[in-house]
Amino acid sequence: MPDRPESEIPPAVELRNIDKSFYGVFANADVDFSLARGEVHALLGENGAGKSTLCSVIAGLYRPDSGDMLLDGKPTVFKSPKDALAAGVGMVYQHFRLISNLTVAENIALGNPEVGLRLSQSELEADAKELGERYDFPVDPTARIWQLSVGQQQRVEILKLLYRDARILILDEPTAVLTPQEGEALFRAMRILAGEGRSLIFVSHKLHEVKAVSDRVTVLREGRVVGAAETADAEPRDLARMMVGKDLVLPTRAPNESIGEPVLVVKDLVVEDDRGLDAVDGLSITVNAGEIVGIAGVSGNGQRELAQGIVGLMKVKSGSVHLSGSDVTSLSVLRKIKLGIAYVPQSRLGMGLAPGLDTDDNLALKQYREPPFSKGPMLSAKAFQTKAAELIEAFDVRGVRPGLPIRLLSGGNLQKALIAREVTQDHCVMIARSPTRGLDVGATATVRDELLAERDRGIAVLLISQDLDELLALSDRLLVIYEGQIAGDMPASEATAERLGLLMAGQREDQSA
Amino acid sequence: MSRRFIVEPRGLAPWWLKLLIPIGSVIAALALGALFLAITGNDWVEVYTKMADTAFGSGRGFAETLVSSTPLILTGVAAAIAFKMLVWNIGGEGQLMFGAIAAAGVGIWLSSSTPAVIAVIAVVLAGAVGGAFWASLAAVPKVYLGTNEIITTLMLNFIALNLMQYLVLGSFSPWRDPEATQFPQGRPIIDNARLPEFFHRLDWGLFIAIAVAIVAWFVISKTRSGFEYRIVGDSFDTARYVGIKVPRKVLSVFLASGAAAGLAGSILVVGILGKMDPRSLDLGLGFTGIIVAALARLNPIAIIPVAILMGALNNAGPALQSIGVPSATVKILQGAILIFAVAGEFLIMNRIKRPKRVADDVPAEAEVSSA
Repeated sequence: MPDRPESEIPPAVELRNIDKSFYGVFANADVDFSLARGEVHALLGENGAGKSTLCSVIAGLYRPDSGDMLLDGKPTVFKSPKDALAAGVGMVYQHFRLISNLTVAENIALGNPEVGLRLSQSELEADAKELGERYDFPVDPTARIWQLSVGQQQRVEILKLLYRDARILILDEPTAVLTPQEGEALFRAMRILAGEGRSLIFVSHKLHEVKAVSDRVTVLREGRVVGAAETADAEPRDLARMMVGKDLVLPTRAPNESIGEPVLVVKDLVVEDDRGLDAVDGLSITVNAGEIVGIAGVSGNGQRELAQGIVGLMKVKSGSVHLSGSDVTSLSVLRKIKLGIAYVPQSRLGMGLAPGLDTDDNLALKQYREPPFSKGPMLSAKAFQTKAAELIEAFDVRGVRPGLPIRLLSGGNLQKALIAREVTQDHCVMIARSPTRGLDVGATATVRDELLAERDRGIAVLLISQDLDELLALSDRLLVIYEGQIAGDMPASEATAERLGLLMAGQREDQSA
Repeated sequence: MSRRFIVEPRGLAPWWLKLLIPIGSVIAALALGALFLAITGNDWVEVYTKMADTAFGSGRGFAETLVSSTPLILTGVAAAIAFKMLVWNIGGEGQLMFGAIAAAGVGIWLSSSTPAVIAVIAVVLAGAVGGAFWASLAAVPKVYLGTNEIITTLMLNFIALNLMQYLVLGSFSPWRDPEATQFPQGRPIIDNARLPEFFHRLDWGLFIAIAVAIVAWFVISKTRSGFEYRIVGDSFDTARYVGIKVPRKVLSVFLASGAAAGLAGSILVVGILGKMDPRSLDLGLGFTGIIVAALARLNPIAIIPVAILMGALNNAGPALQSIGVPSATVKILQGAILIFAVAGEFLIMNRIKRPKRVADDVPAEAEVSSA
């Protein structure tokens, strides 16, 4: 029916008033969305905007609380992802669903109802090879998954869906794990797929990717659709503003008058991530005494590697870290602690605290090697108790009982304990990652006050966060990290939603003018 | 779809519960054993009386119980300190055997005029070093290459067993007694290296074992190094974050675990055996040590009474033959105790409550995520 006017073809997928909440918190609210045939439709939004939830609803992993889904104009309810795949809707999740000991061909056959009891390896392999070639997406069908790079594994996930002849492919942040070259190859394959009349949903934080590959774009914020447009007509600055949203509240506090000498100087730092890619890629920052430098950015742009590279938990590949003038680049974690680097990691129970030990033990984690906690090889239980009692009182940590594993405290109390320990040790630099994430209002205020007090004491504070409100409320200077580099540097008072949004989404300042 | 019970993690288990669960496990296992005995047509009262009498009824019997317990204390400590650090050393068996090989080797090689104090210390330490060496074959690849120690330590058990058997039964090595012409036997170690007996067959090895358990407890709970072990055992990432060198800690606890198991081997050699006797060293003492450690909830002090209980069962087993009950009955009891103890662990970690009201508080999520 090539002559039929376009308007009469129902969209491949249409969502009407989709609501989805988790334990009373809306992840999607009143979402309308439509995906035309043969289009690549980008979903753009910050962390936690509800993109993944929306994808999971379409792919049958979640059932919406209310609202309708229409597939080719027909109301549809998927009971499971299997159901969805049978109807031609498949999703490539951020975490792959592959069996690492099986071959590519076997993974592709897995769960396919058309593959009977008998497996013909050679047929499977030929099919897989042929599919890969058709989409300019070559993978060795006899290779085992564990032998493949992450990018190749992603191809297998996509081929799995194509083998089932999925007409609607949902790719949840596919480029987050890819090198730029692999990303290019993915985009080529996506265009071929769209050219065949398949529809693709492409989730991303990055404006240039959205621009490069999509036909239409829908922007989500806080679970709601805040805008949709033809990609060609969309101005990056408009998209950025929509993404970041609300008018930013500029800080009311007085900037610190007495900013001192440079304390933490990071120069041309390169740190590899777990996959061996340069996650921090030639980054330089200076943090002065009595200054809070905030680093904004979408997560996964090198924040973890930056913090862990500075404190010594990850190896620095090149570049340098200086502390008050002396080179500390490759010193051990312990040496850096002793030289005065305090660190509040993002994961309280995963790294900052020992979840199974009690509060007394946890409050001494950084100082137990020194007197009065240690006397020779022995520990003084008394010193542990005295110090803990002091900090618990001063920082109002509640729910503590002797012997009670600290993991049983609430998130706010955990963070207060962690901050109490870090700010009361001798230090000149404080590195804090998302220090108020998941905290209630009271605990958030305590943590923020402590960081401001740090600044007033003349500590150099590096605050790495995804929370723009927090960054604006605390920072003297605001930097944006993008793909391991500093994309922008401004006084906090000059930050605007549009400017930050563009920088966080990968638009350089000069391009957006 | 309302749930009849709610299981929730318990913060702090009261002390009496920590005591009640192991004791309850033993009672439950005995009850199950009684049922089994009754079904198979035995008089369970008679069997249990016989067991109690054999293990505790006389000075000689109690001495034998303690003799059986001594290596279990050491293999129990070996398992407990490793498991506490999430090092799954199940090679206590092989480390014990290689400890015995090393100890007997030194005990045979030493000149018979070596002073007793020096000879005993040398042979006992040789066992610890041998056990640590055998553990290192699994520990070094684990720490530096990331191999799975469950598999490597288990395989090394078989290698140690075959090596031990080869040295005495399969070759004319220095470990084999040249004078035993009828059936191959281990060559006796020098007399000066033997530990004296002081109560029937019981020797000073018991006190060495108890001392090791106490030292292990003391180091873990009172010293700086033990604090670091506890941090590493709780979270590798946190340990790294506070500046502890995790690989080194894991390696050292693995070697210490092997040394404790190897010590069990050397104490048997310098004590009741007096030689490397492959049959008497192949009793599954390393594996029973794992049961001991689990039942003692990895607490080195609690290992002492638990090992005595397990030793009593081991000691009582053979006596059951005389009343026509298979000695393997005690293995059933030991296994049942472990199962009940592991199940009881769940009650220590969690509390089970009846919900106050059957409200519709289960979010729709639960349904979806379970699908």
